[in-house]
Amino acid sequence: MNGLCFWLNGKELCYDGSAGDRLLDVLRDKYDLKSVKCGCKEGECGACAVLIDGVLMNACCVAMGAVEGHEVLTVEGYRETERFKVLSKAFADLSAVQCGFCIPGMVLAAEALLRVKPHPTEEEVRRALSGNICRCTGYNAIVNAVLNAAKEGDGLW
Amino acid sequence: MVNGYKPGSLQEALDIRSRTDAIPYAGGTDLMVRNQKGAVYLFLNDIEALKQITDDGDMIRIGAAVTFTRALENDLVPPLMKEALSQIAAPAIRNAGTFGGNLGNASDKADSVLAALALDGRVRLASAGGERTVRIEDFFVKRGETILRDDELIVEVLLPKSRCSLPFYYQKLGGRNALAISRVAFAGVYDVQDGVIRSISVAVIGEGKFTRYREAEAALIGRTAEEVKENAAACADSFIRNMTFTRGRVSAEYRRTVVRNLLTDYLTSLG
Repeated sequence: MNGLCFWLNGKELCYDGSAGDRLLDVLRDKYDLKSVKCGCKEGECGACAVLIDGVLMNACCVAMGAVEGHEVLTVEGYRETERFKVLSKAFADLSAVQCGFCIPGMVLAAEALLRVKPHPTEEEVRRALSGNICRCTGYNAIVNAVLNAAKEGDGLW
Repeated sequence: MVNGYKPGSLQEALDIRSRTDAIPYAGGTDLMVRNQKGAVYLFLNDIEALKQITDDGDMIRIGAAVTFTRALENDLVPPLMKEALSQIAAPAIRNAGTFGGNLGNASDKADSVLAALALDGRVRLASAGGERTVRIEDFFVKRGETILRDDELIVEVLLPKSRCSLPFYYQKLGGRNALAISRVAFAGVYDVQDGVIRSISVAVIGEGKFTRYREAEAALIGRTAEEVKENAAACADSFIRNMTFTRGRVSAEYRRTVVRNLLTDYLTSLG
């Protein structure tokens, strides 16, 4: 195989572009994964957050060379899981989504939290989402949605 | 790999460093903000030798590619360092950001560097031809500039164990709780026995550089914590006199006032 190989949403791929390219740009433009949003390109907003080996990172601040041999998960891959369904329902039930731009990042930040802390406190949820900015300022609904998902999805995480 | 190198070992990385201009890449959180098309990186994020945290008896050694999150999970990392790390940015940044990157980025607002400075930390640098270990304050020249040579890599941060378990003081002031760059930060470590100050350190962010105030620190050694507490304002002044604050998002005068207040609070809390 040529290029730089990594796992994307469960599939092994080899990227033949530059190792210095931003993961964010490659995900959106080459692999058409538009859940990954470009908010700031400075790591300040969390809209492009993805999971790399299960760890939350901002795709704007990751070069392709760094993900070689690693697993990248975006909402397009995560949405196939039971966990996603629970989070999705909780977000809908609490009207936690307004414009929606920050939500993919919020959902993956929630997953990153719940996989290490299945029953977080409100403070822990706020801290886990602290790198994800919502400009509709719907934070309370989002935090409550994550707390609800933890309750509803008991045993999934 | 096009436009990049991904060595499997430190030796290999040092070899590439000696013969190319590739930019060392650890976490990417600072580097990628100013990423340019065609940039060539030397990826250090998968080199196991740079991802270890060990205790050699005298020093806690933290590898350059250790992320802040990993350090926060590790029992060897001293409480002052953890306090500083826990207030850096937000989870996604702490998951990627590294000790080596915080040093090599040469920002004068690097919170992990401040903690290492207060702990009498050192940094070990290596090249294909050899290695050297320098004090944190000697590594950092000024904003954007360190003594790191073109053929060298940052290997690890060393924290003397004799300092790691001492009581400490840490305060960070940013524009908000998360994702905030320090406008002012203050770190100090002290050893008070039978009411007498045996050692004390002061380190601040706000001067545009990383430095220690050895004379002012030495002048407090041997005095009682009680006496220093009573004269906290005057003692704070002996440090402030040697400080020059930078003007940026906040004024130099603001920084001076905040550092004076923090120093007074610190000196009042000894013992």
